[in-house]
Amino acid sequence: MENKLEKIKEKGLQKIEKVSILSELDEVRKELLGKKSEISDVLKSMSNLSIDDKKKIGMLATDIKNIFSNKMTEKEEQLISSMSVLEGPIDFTVPGKKVNGGALHPITQMKYDLDDAFLSLGFEVYSEDDISSEKYAFDNLNFAKNHPARQSMDTYWLEGTEDKEGSERLCLRPHLTGGSVRYLLEHGAPARFVYPGRVYRNETTDARHERAFFQYEALIVDKDISFSSGMVMIQTILEKVFGRKINVRMREGFFPFTEPGYEIDMECLVCGGKGCKVCNHNGWIEVMPGGVIHPNVLKAAGLDSNEWTGFYINIGLDRLVMMRYGVDDVRLFHSSDLRFIMQFK
Amino acid sequence: MKVSLKLIKKYVDLPSNLTNKQIAYDLTLRTVEVENVENMTSKFHDIVVGKIEKIKEHPQADKLKICIVDIGEEKSVQIVCGGSNLYEGEYVVVCKPGAEVVWHGEGEPVKIKETKMRGELSYGMICAASEVFLTDFFPNEAETEIIDLKGIDCHPGQAVTELFDMDDTVLEIDNKSLSNRPDLWGHYGIARELSAIYNVPLKEIETYKIDSKLPKYNVEIKDKSKCHRYIGVEIDGIYDKPSPMWMQSLLVKVGQRPINAIVDITNYVMMVTGQPSHAFDRTHVSGEKIVVRNAKKNEELALLDHTTISLTEEDLVICDEKDPMCLAGIRGGAKDSILPETTGIVLEMANFDAGTIRNTGKRFSEKTDSSIRYEKGIDTQRIDQGINLALNLIEEIFPDSKILKYVDECPLSTENNKIEVTEEFLNTRLGKKISEDTVKQILTSLGYKVELKKGTYSVVVPTWRSTGDVTYKDDVMGDIARILSFDSFEPKPITISLEHSVKQNSVLLERRIREYLSYRCGFYEIYTYPWIDEKYIHAAKIDTTVAVKLATPPAPELSILRSSLIPGMLESISKNLRYFDSFKLFENTEVYKKGEYSPSSADEILPEQNMYLTGCIVGKDAKKIFYEAKGVLENMAAYCHMEELKFEQREKPEWADVNAYINIISRNQIIGSLGLVSVKAMADCKIKRINIAMFEIESYKFIPCDSRTNKYERLPELPLVEKDLSVLVDEEKTWSEIVKAIRSMVKELEFIEEYRGEKIPDGKKSVTLRIKLLNEGTTMTSEQINEKMSQILKVLDKKCGAILREE
Repeated sequence: MENKLEKIKEKGLQKIEKVSILSELDEVRKELLGKKSEISDVLKSMSNLSIDDKKKIGMLATDIKNIFSNKMTEKEEQLISSMSVLEGPIDFTVPGKKVNGGALHPITQMKYDLDDAFLSLGFEVYSEDDISSEKYAFDNLNFAKNHPARQSMDTYWLEGTEDKEGSERLCLRPHLTGGSVRYLLEHGAPARFVYPGRVYRNETTDARHERAFFQYEALIVDKDISFSSGMVMIQTILEKVFGRKINVRMREGFFPFTEPGYEIDMECLVCGGKGCKVCNHNGWIEVMPGGVIHPNVLKAAGLDSNEWTGFYINIGLDRLVMMRYGVDDVRLFHSSDLRFIMQFK
Repeated sequence: MKVSLKLIKKYVDLPSNLTNKQIAYDLTLRTVEVENVENMTSKFHDIVVGKIEKIKEHPQADKLKICIVDIGEEKSVQIVCGGSNLYEGEYVVVCKPGAEVVWHGEGEPVKIKETKMRGELSYGMICAASEVFLTDFFPNEAETEIIDLKGIDCHPGQAVTELFDMDDTVLEIDNKSLSNRPDLWGHYGIARELSAIYNVPLKEIETYKIDSKLPKYNVEIKDKSKCHRYIGVEIDGIYDKPSPMWMQSLLVKVGQRPINAIVDITNYVMMVTGQPSHAFDRTHVSGEKIVVRNAKKNEELALLDHTTISLTEEDLVICDEKDPMCLAGIRGGAKDSILPETTGIVLEMANFDAGTIRNTGKRFSEKTDSSIRYEKGIDTQRIDQGINLALNLIEEIFPDSKILKYVDECPLSTENNKIEVTEEFLNTRLGKKISEDTVKQILTSLGYKVELKKGTYSVVVPTWRSTGDVTYKDDVMGDIARILSFDSFEPKPITISLEHSVKQNSVLLERRIREYLSYRCGFYEIYTYPWIDEKYIHAAKIDTTVAVKLATPPAPELSILRSSLIPGMLESISKNLRYFDSFKLFENTEVYKKGEYSPSSADEILPEQNMYLTGCIVGKDAKKIFYEAKGVLENMAAYCHMEELKFEQREKPEWADVNAYINIISRNQIIGSLGLVSVKAMADCKIKRINIAMFEIESYKFIPCDSRTNKYERLPELPLVEKDLSVLVDEEKTWSEIVKAIRSMVKELEFIEEYRGEKIPDGKKSVTLRIKLLNEGTTMTSEQINEKMSQILKVLDKKCGAILREE
């Protein structure tokens, strides 16, 4: 009988081993442990055995039952863990479901990136309205009376005001700088603020020139600060935009509302400063003008230039976005062409 | 402006270890932007003088000749050439193999190789002027001709760089960076800057001793406010001949075409000093008198090209006794040209008011080398340099000439500006201490006179910087900073004061709205121009009487500035329909309306300008996109943390569909509308086959919340019971009536769908709603639930005539 049981065990373990799906395992369980199982038959045929043998065979049978049971639990776990919720194969190369599209305009994205950087430095965000006057766009900013930018071939004057003067001659603002005086008149000094926005110039358009474009300007006004702090602001911006430290240089530049004024060049990212077509073979690209606020501008803002000083920087947002992505036509920003806009997530 | 380094070096000895590139870099950082550095020597390498010894017919080609040319090497070489003006004994320009030429004067330079032309060996080529950048020396060469060096002293093998004095480097300076520096419009000014940058001495311009006993030339300045100085010199023995090669060469290098010796001298003087001058044929000045006066109204001036211009009383003219001869400081007239029969001249060197020159130049659209210099404001003292240089050159080039008469009228000489600058000011503003020696050295080399007393520098600005350029102590500081180089100042970190954090709720709200629309609702942000095509304004039926207009619009149909964002959005939609048939766009920007708005000072009255928000959903199913857009707006307040918006139908916007529109209400005031775009408006925009749900809101009226507006509610201990109901109601019954009827009976009520169609009788619709019930305290039994549901149905029947729809 012991031999028989051994055989049943062998056979049973083999059967369990062969099982490959869960439903089959249930059948095998019935077969091995059910009322009609071979072990049951053996136990039933034990009546004529001695008590000791009964005990012995009984224990052996129970052991085998336990072994079967354990093995089947093991098998069951094994089968469940290798089971898939899917029936049949899945093609992983089929694209997943698209997420809800939609995006900010690349200019807005850039603006917000810069806002974040400046907010961390304690700057306020200010915006001047699009329509300004000659007084705020030119007179306050120390532009000479006969400066060419005051002509209608440069600036968009409003109908009916084009022949007037000063605060009565209205225009779409040609630059953001006029807003600096508005802010200072309202808030006084010290001040640190950015004033991004769109500006308008009467120009012939092409891939590099636009009639409406975006600028980002920042101004700090305080006592006893030196113009070289402007450099820190510039590095902050470029690091924010390009994600790493960018080499810059400051060179002489002239703007009516600054003294001294400077141009800030960044190392050409295309050639790494060696010189290429993009940077006109000199390794540097002009990115932003800046400078120390001119005493006449402070005066227009009601501030004493002996007490206060400060500096501007101004960034062409269009240019910066173009450099960030290699966009080759500035007119795309106002095209509202989704084929373009959709590229900027 | 182009600058010859060779000429610069005549006035300043630059350190010998400097490369040309370094000079360009240092100038760029400190003075003006050098855009390009051109090495002339390398441009003309392997181009030499050749002498044609023999000419043979080419056996294979009628138009080609075989020339045996002496190019100064051991053996003469054979060159095939098609020039129409070849002759034996001719001195020509030969490009040896390795030289670079521009084929037929067009395109990029190409390297010459020894080659066979129709079977005959050709060692390089004999060149036309346009092929080797020499057109300025040979302007009259015909198309098929090669350069004939007849009359020029040269020898075979002589390098062209030597012959034409081209061993030089030319810096090209961006004129924009010169616009505020009238002193830099000549080589001498640039030389002065370099002398300051490298701390090396600047040489004086050679002087000329005028015989004080000379009779006076008759000059009358009528308007002394416009002509500040006038030197007239009558010189005999001046005739039409070419200027020496070195002078022609300099002019060519800086972009001027040589004309004749006397015109070249005036141009050369201008290139060196920045001071324009002018020569009249002596015999053309009738009455031997020059009058500087304003033109008479409609007075005419005959020009060289046989046309005439009609003058105004504001234009300054140089006249003889009777008529205008030229437009002062701008251009000459027909009368003043130097002709083959000229034997003497009157040389004019004058100073004119900058504004007068600018205005007259603008009036006649004239921008000349002379006028751009006068426009910037030249000091009257510059004439001293100019006249000295000119008279020396005349004496050198016309040794037999003789000065007959001379006059120097100077009604208004430029005065030096005087400025006081304290050491303390310089040190704080520059961020570091600059020694007295450095300050003095820099300023003195730029021409200032400086004295330091008790911590204050008394600075006398040189006249050439006193015509508007240097006026304030800040200007003086700027000069010191730039010569030291801005890069030499250690960047100082900006300190942050922690007095208060920046909190600008409206700024933040605007950002939240943009981000909500784009990232949560799937809209793409666009920017459109503020000037709007009238076609779309009319399509949207926007009232243009409130709109402001541009005086000189980009195009005639674009004169109206937007008073609504709807037309711009319609245009954007119409442009995108070529590629897409369903999309969502938004724009948040300013609109302008006639009005009175003074943001900064009472004297300035601007039109009203306010931020508006517009958005659209484009798609086929009109109802679906309408509800989608409504959902976007309904959820906006909660997601963007602003004061609640309400939606009611009160007033139809012009552009909207007759039925499908709704107004957006804030504090019981209409601040915008949502609607489907009307059939008519779409037809006017030629928009077909799609529908548009569009909204426009006066977004400046949104009221931001101080903080996030989320509300916390304790989680229910018991589960909610959820039941869906479909009821039949009359078409006219609205969802809000259903809500009103049973809202108080349920915990939550949700709209699922509306259905019309099969099994639904005409005039009726099926509305499916989801009800959530909650019993306080205990779990609801099924009896309680059924009881509640039948109560709800009863109320729905009574108040809305709703019947449970049998499935």
